[in-house]
Amino acid sequence: MINENIRTAFQSFAGNKLRTLLSMVGIVIGVASVVAITAYGASASESIKRQIAKSGLETIMVMMGRDAGGESLRLFKEELAPELEEIEGVLQAMPVNQRSVTFRAGKQSATDTIVTALPGFVPLFDIEAAEGRFLSEADLTERSPVVVLGAELAATLFPSGGAVGSYLRVLGQNPQQLRIVGVLAKKSDAMGMNFDSTAFVPRTTYLTRIARPARPDRFIVRADGSKDPAATAKRIETFFFDLTGKSNAARVMSPSTVAETLSGVTDTLTTFLTGVAAISLVVGGIGIMNIMLVSVTERTREIGIRKAVGAPPRAILSQFLVEAVVLTGTGGLLGVAVGAGASYAAVKALSYPFVISPAACAVAWLVSAGTGIFFGLYPAARAARLDPVAALSYE
Amino acid sequence: MSAEWAGPVVLAEGLERSYEVGEEKVLALRGVSIRIERGDMTAIMGPSGSGKSTLMHLIGCLDSPTGGRILIDGVEAQDMSQTELARLRRERIGFVFQTFNLLPRLSILENAALPLRYAGVPNRLRLERAAAALEAVGLGDRTRHRPGQLSGGQRQRAAIARALINEPALILADEPTGALDQTTGRAILDLFRDINERGTTIVMVTHDPAVAASCRSTIRLRDGLIEEAGPTAFFEATAEGDSE
Repeated sequence: MINENIRTAFQSFAGNKLRTLLSMVGIVIGVASVVAITAYGASASESIKRQIAKSGLETIMVMMGRDAGGESLRLFKEELAPELEEIEGVLQAMPVNQRSVTFRAGKQSATDTIVTALPGFVPLFDIEAAEGRFLSEADLTERSPVVVLGAELAATLFPSGGAVGSYLRVLGQNPQQLRIVGVLAKKSDAMGMNFDSTAFVPRTTYLTRIARPARPDRFIVRADGSKDPAATAKRIETFFFDLTGKSNAARVMSPSTVAETLSGVTDTLTTFLTGVAAISLVVGGIGIMNIMLVSVTERTREIGIRKAVGAPPRAILSQFLVEAVVLTGTGGLLGVAVGAGASYAAVKALSYPFVISPAACAVAWLVSAGTGIFFGLYPAARAARLDPVAALSYE
Repeated sequence: MSAEWAGPVVLAEGLERSYEVGEEKVLALRGVSIRIERGDMTAIMGPSGSGKSTLMHLIGCLDSPTGGRILIDGVEAQDMSQTELARLRRERIGFVFQTFNLLPRLSILENAALPLRYAGVPNRLRLERAAAALEAVGLGDRTRHRPGQLSGGQRQRAAIARALINEPALILADEPTGALDQTTGRAILDLFRDINERGTTIVMVTHDPAVAASCRSTIRLRDGLIEEAGPTAFFEATAEGDSE
């Protein structure tokens, strides 16, 4: 009987192709939006996860707390590094300063970030020099006037190449001439640092020649990957809390907290947008109800004939209900295809990995079919209740 | 219940049907008693407003009376639900309408097979039986056509095939020649007579004396009551000059 009704439904659609298509548009858009948004959200989350995995699970950033005028500011000092290194799970704690400066090389200049670096950065950030080398232990001890440039910064200052071995000037109160010993390979953001437009100088060089900051503005901690970096991050927080009695003395960012925050944002956004898309499904459903009511009225005589030859009310009910469900179900299938295609295109344009949840597609499709049942029930019941005599004499 | 029921195919006693029109109650049938025996071919005649359509709807189990009893093939129908009435129509009654009432998007074959769908007959068997029924009414070579591709007479033959498909106890025809020219109408009446001669009871609602003349008996209604009933031959003399 169901097969029969599905066949009848397609016969009736074939007679009204344009109208059928138009009445499905709402459902197609609704399902496509749900599928596209969830797929986009999942892909964005996956992209974040992969970036974090690439930047290393063992990196923990310790920044100054928000009340910059308070105790936390005085708290951050060079000497805290060995204390941090005593915390379980911490392999190395590196004090870091950074500031925005103007670089000049020949006629080119650029304003970008200069960061104090230690050789310990290399394993942590997976740093690779495209040309030359990164900073060495010797650069540090000798306070060498050397610098390593991120890929974009090097390209800005040396548009025709040849950065390694050349010199650049850091402008400011104590202008300095630094020799470029390496240019880094292109790399995306890691832990909030944009490596491509950053210049790295040995920390000792920075402190003696470029600036004399009172205290480091962050610590980069290398955690023992085998000892649950998230727990290590917690212990660092506790360390600062014990030191100050304030919970916001330091902001500790580990890959897992970053991931949590970012995927929290993505999830909220996905939920919100899915809600918006769900509204369009309801609107689509109302469109279906409307077209089904029109269809029942138009086919009053057909209903009368079917009743005359012995169709009981239930058969008429299921015929029109199946028709509504086939309509929304087909729209749902189209919607899944359109949504998957659109999100694939968007995700690939942003070069994220494409992740689509079959469960989300299945749910979106089931909801579309359910929309057919919900919004098809009233028109179908109306068809089933038609008086055979009145239906037969309907013009 | 009875394929073997030997009593009248239609038995009505004191049949009443009233309609509410606004505040007013209009009596379309005011106590009609009829008896149509198995194998009969009966015409129901009368001017418009006489109640003949109402009577046809009650005999056809498309409607329920507001008073009285009606038995179709031995089954009491006056208090039945819509579902039960549908079953009675499907099992014991075949309809033929003035305007054919075929579904335009289905082929003649599918149209003729339609009643079997609701009887739960498997699709293949349905189409086989429909093909046989169409063959029997002379449309064996037209089964794939749609109603719109056929002439009026052919459409009415297809409708008759549909009415016959469930081997009903009763065929109810409402002005079956009303939309046809005279020659075609004659041929359709001949077909009905053939069917009747093979044993199927037929009731025709008509205002055309020529149609009534081809029936064995006639029931004449006026103002919701039976005016006359009896063998058609008896009426033939008085039928002359009878107008709507």
